[in-house]
Amino acid sequence: MDLTSRKLVDRSFTGLGWFSILLMAAALVILLAPIVVRGLGAFVFKGTVEHRKLQFEVFGHGRAGAVDAETAEVTEARQPVYDMLAAFEAELESADFASRRKHAGPLRELKDHLRRLLGPLPAEDAPVLMREQYGQTRWDRAQMALNHLLLIETYDYSDPTQMGRKILTPRVEDFKGTSLEPLFAYVEDNASAMLKPRWTLYWRFLFDSSHDAHFFGGIWPELLGTIYLTLGAILFAVPLGVISAIYLVEYTEEGSRLVGLLRTCINTLAGVPSIVYGLFGLAFFINSLHVSQSKSVLAGALTLGILVLPFVIRSAEEAIRAVPQTYKEAALSLGVGKWRAITTVILPAALPGILTGTVISMGRAAGETAPIIFTAAVSVGQPLSFLQTFSEPTPALPWNIYNLCSEHEAVDEIRHVQYGMVFTLVMLVLLLNSGAILLRARITKRMRG
Amino acid sequence: MTVAPTGNMVKPVLSIKSTNALRQPSDGDNQGATHLSIEDFSVFYREFQAVKNVTMVVPSGRVTAIIGPSGCGKSTLLRAMNRMNDLIPGVRTTGRLCYLGVDIYGRECDPVEVRRRIGMVFQRPNPFPKSIFRNIAWAPRINGYRGDISNLVEHALRQAALWDEVKDKLDQSALALSGGQQQRLCIARAIAMQPDVLLMDEPCSALDPIATSHIEDLIDELKKQYTVVLVTHNMQQAARVSDRTAFMYMGELIEIDETRTIFTKPKKQQTEDYITGRFG
Amino acid sequence: MADTRFIIQRNSLIISARANRLRRLAALGGRGILLLITSSSALVILFIFYFIIKDALPFFQLRGLKEFFTSTAWYPSSSPASFGATSIFVGSGLVTLGAILVSVPLGVTAAVCLSDMLPFSLRQLVKPVIEMLAAIPSVAFGFFALVVFAPQLQERGGTILSVAWWMITAPVAFLMLWIVSSVLSSRLPERIRSMGRLGLAAALAAPTFWGIWFVGRSFHALEISSGANALNVSIILGIMALPTIVSVSEDALQSVGGELREGAYALGATRTETMLRIVIPAAKSGICAAIILGIMRAIGETMVVWMASGNAAQIPRPWFNVLEPVRTLTATIAGETGEADHVTGSARYHVLFAMALCLLVISYAFNYVSDRIVRRTSRIGRA
Ligand SMILES: Nc1ncnc2c1ncn2[C@@H]1O[C@H](COP(=O)(O)OP(=O)(O)OP(=O)(O)O)[C@@H](O)[C@H]1O
Ligand SMILES: [Mg+2]
Repeated sequence: MDLTSRKLVDRSFTGLGWFSILLMAAALVILLAPIVVRGLGAFVFKGTVEHRKLQFEVFGHGRAGAVDAETAEVTEARQPVYDMLAAFEAELESADFASRRKHAGPLRELKDHLRRLLGPLPAEDAPVLMREQYGQTRWDRAQMALNHLLLIETYDYSDPTQMGRKILTPRVEDFKGTSLEPLFAYVEDNASAMLKPRWTLYWRFLFDSSHDAHFFGGIWPELLGTIYLTLGAILFAVPLGVISAIYLVEYTEEGSRLVGLLRTCINTLAGVPSIVYGLFGLAFFINSLHVSQSKSVLAGALTLGILVLPFVIRSAEEAIRAVPQTYKEAALSLGVGKWRAITTVILPAALPGILTGTVISMGRAAGETAPIIFTAAVSVGQPLSFLQTFSEPTPALPWNIYNLCSEHEAVDEIRHVQYGMVFTLVMLVLLLNSGAILLRARITKRMRG
Repeated sequence: MTVAPTGNMVKPVLSIKSTNALRQPSDGDNQGATHLSIEDFSVFYREFQAVKNVTMVVPSGRVTAIIGPSGCGKSTLLRAMNRMNDLIPGVRTTGRLCYLGVDIYGRECDPVEVRRRIGMVFQRPNPFPKSIFRNIAWAPRINGYRGDISNLVEHALRQAALWDEVKDKLDQSALALSGGQQQRLCIARAIAMQPDVLLMDEPCSALDPIATSHIEDLIDELKKQYTVVLVTHNMQQAARVSDRTAFMYMGELIEIDETRTIFTKPKKQQTEDYITGRFG
Repeated sequence: MADTRFIIQRNSLIISARANRLRRLAALGGRGILLLITSSSALVILFIFYFIIKDALPFFQLRGLKEFFTSTAWYPSSSPASFGATSIFVGSGLVTLGAILVSVPLGVTAAVCLSDMLPFSLRQLVKPVIEMLAAIPSVAFGFFALVVFAPQLQERGGTILSVAWWMITAPVAFLMLWIVSSVLSSRLPERIRSMGRLGLAAALAAPTFWGIWFVGRSFHALEISSGANALNVSIILGIMALPTIVSVSEDALQSVGGELREGAYALGATRTETMLRIVIPAAKSGICAAIILGIMRAIGETMVVWMASGNAAQIPRPWFNVLEPVRTLTATIAGETGEADHVTGSARYHVLFAMALCLLVISYAFNYVSDRIVRRTSRIGRA
């Protein structure tokens, strides 16, 4: 090959390298962008009057006066709709059979859509399900509901080689020439007067419990469950891991048979797939040790603890090894015993490293799903008190993300909750990680003076 | 105190005479009594014999310097004196190394207690990553000191001639001090434990001339209270501060005598060659 | 004098034989406790093996080995039930293979770029990207795969595939054409060499790019019936394995050392030649270990495959058809343990442990191999 070609190959290779780096960065951005953007949508959105009413009635947030005044206003704006409905129904009563039959179906559908948009109709009994007691709480979902109210969606399957084609027809055509015809224009024009959308910062999303299978409310039970599980895992893994690291570094000779064996065990442990930890936790902690009757936070935390243990050992070992030998020499030369020297000089000096490892393992424990499926997680539950963690299962962020987006009855209607949960979990983990980095930097700096 | 012009090291023998640093052994209360006695003592790193059958005594209340070319086993011998070699895997000793008549390598001797009484200062300053105060207070506290700890810290810092420089920043990290200050802090840390003997392994080798002269002055002060064993590469330093000097070569102790004798009329040819810079 | 003011308690230098014995005993006991704690955290792995095997054996006793490993009929809940796991093994293998194809070339070149091409300041920027990618929980990847990526793949799969095809093949084809034509034209006499090269390149370019275009068009025409398929999962798993591969192989490349590189540069090699011929071969074992670790991450991953692989226990036809849904070992365990929970004792429960055992054995084998590789090279390095 001549020089030009060699150079060209060289350039292309460089380009390939840059390409892969950029692709990696792009992957991160593509992954995080929807999670961040739509996840923030769970916290900041245009809330309707229904949202404020729900917040007040269910959670007791907000001022009674303000909510009442607003309710009165929207009731007034909604009144014409209900009047038109009542008038039409009265008209049907007296109409002939054919017309009654023709309009009965569409009317039922229309009323369903109205209920979905605005909540129960005035004269009706309060429905059982909470999702039927309120109209749309979010303006974006309200607009979708409004669309469904205004337009009928049908699919055309006439071409068998293609997928069905969507056809939209205005619903108003079902009621052409009746007294209900103006209703559609009125609803379209006055939607915002009937719902009063307003930008809302719903930070309580984190601390409200959820209602009616996550249709309303926040994610506090899940968040709390994740916190319990993570702290439990760390409380279990860090003492064990740090002591093991001390033993491996300070009390054994590198290269001995015993150390080799221990190392192999720890490395193998680090490679075990997380789902196997889950099965093990089920078979060992619950079915053999009976730490609890069935799933519990305790069993899950122990399982997660075992999962992060090898990582804690490794990072603690590294941190202890990185402490200069001279500290130990100085300590011993002052007539201090070995154990004392380790606990009062070496461990404090290794603390930044150990803490960093700990915090990163916390992130790992918080995000793991597979180990808690069989040991700790349930789909719905209340926030637990501390004592309950020994015997009760809990909802947890990672598990409920899975649950809400693949097993929930109305996956599409609670997308914002799903995104909010993913956003919270990812932020939690990333915050822990960057916290670890900052912590390391700060403590190192303080030590250096 | 004698602050020698440290710049000229060309002709050690001449400069010693001119600095007038050689003192007669003064006769104090217990000066001259044997503190450490070493008999036929060897140290092995696995197979390698780093210290070969050394026999010598370290008299109490005086400064004993150990000189010799690099790698001759000075540090090894010094570290053997308070069992710091225990830290290194594969180290073995033969012979006797007695402190106040007790063989510190004997089965019944407690190495931790030995190190309490024989302190050490290392070649590179190695303060703990803690505050200045806690650097000094740490060991006495752990060893059950019940008195007023801040008095003890002040006393140790004054003895190490560091008090005036750090008295306003006792809570700051010791790592923020200069190299010379750090080394004096390490000395203060060692003397806060009130040892009988202070071992110093090239305490000035990482320091500039001014810091060096500070430390030398300090050693001169310290010998009033402590027995000092000093390893140094700087023969002027040995001449200035020590009362007795030992010369080691290839693991063997070639000669040990009063400093004045070693530097003026050594008995062995090797010693003279080394001191006059004919090899090294 | 100071000595009288500050008294630090001193013990006797000599300790009695009894105290000595006591002290030794205490030290031994302390060490024993430390050893106990350490080995208990190491022995967890034996516990894991024991408990998984204990619950896996009943399955093999009940049903034997043959059905599990050779049959493709996976109907654990029908009666009579059948437990053929071949298609599940194939599913696991397929998505892992896909993940390797995505992550290994990207990961290794990214590591090379990171260690030898990027300036220091940029490297400090890229490191956090890698750390963040590694830190993101797998359920978030799974959510992305299911909720964001799968619908896109379903709607625009053909376009995505053909764009990817062009992005991969066009530069490679260009480079190959250039090299082939320059090698061929070097035989020509000096005068017409550059003309000849251009002509050759043009002549070869036409069929090559037509071929690429043809394949690209057939990709474009593909209809993807479900976005939750092996391709989706492979890509996501590949991205998840990237950080491991990049950081471990970068360490390996860094540890090769400057002298070797300088030696090659001094001989007039370009950077690419230095990397490909000298540095990468020298760091070979570390890179292998990195790839193995990446593979382990892909095999052991549960949430992504459970959420986005389609979970159909079938062997795609043809076997490499990644556009079909598959089902993996991990997803099967995750999905069925809940249902099998109540009937503890039945084959349906124990078969899941049998699968876990297979996973465990696979991961142990990989671990062993990578350990071996690393150890062998570190021995060679020391000698
Ligand atoms: N940890 C060790 N393992 C093996 N051999 C060692 C070790 N430390 C020192 N040695 C060897 O023992 C001999 C004496 O070393 P020592 O450190 O006592 O020399 P030194 O006189 O202090 O030299 P320097 O003046 O350079 O400090 C040297 O040959 C050295 O190679
Ligand atoms: Mg030395």
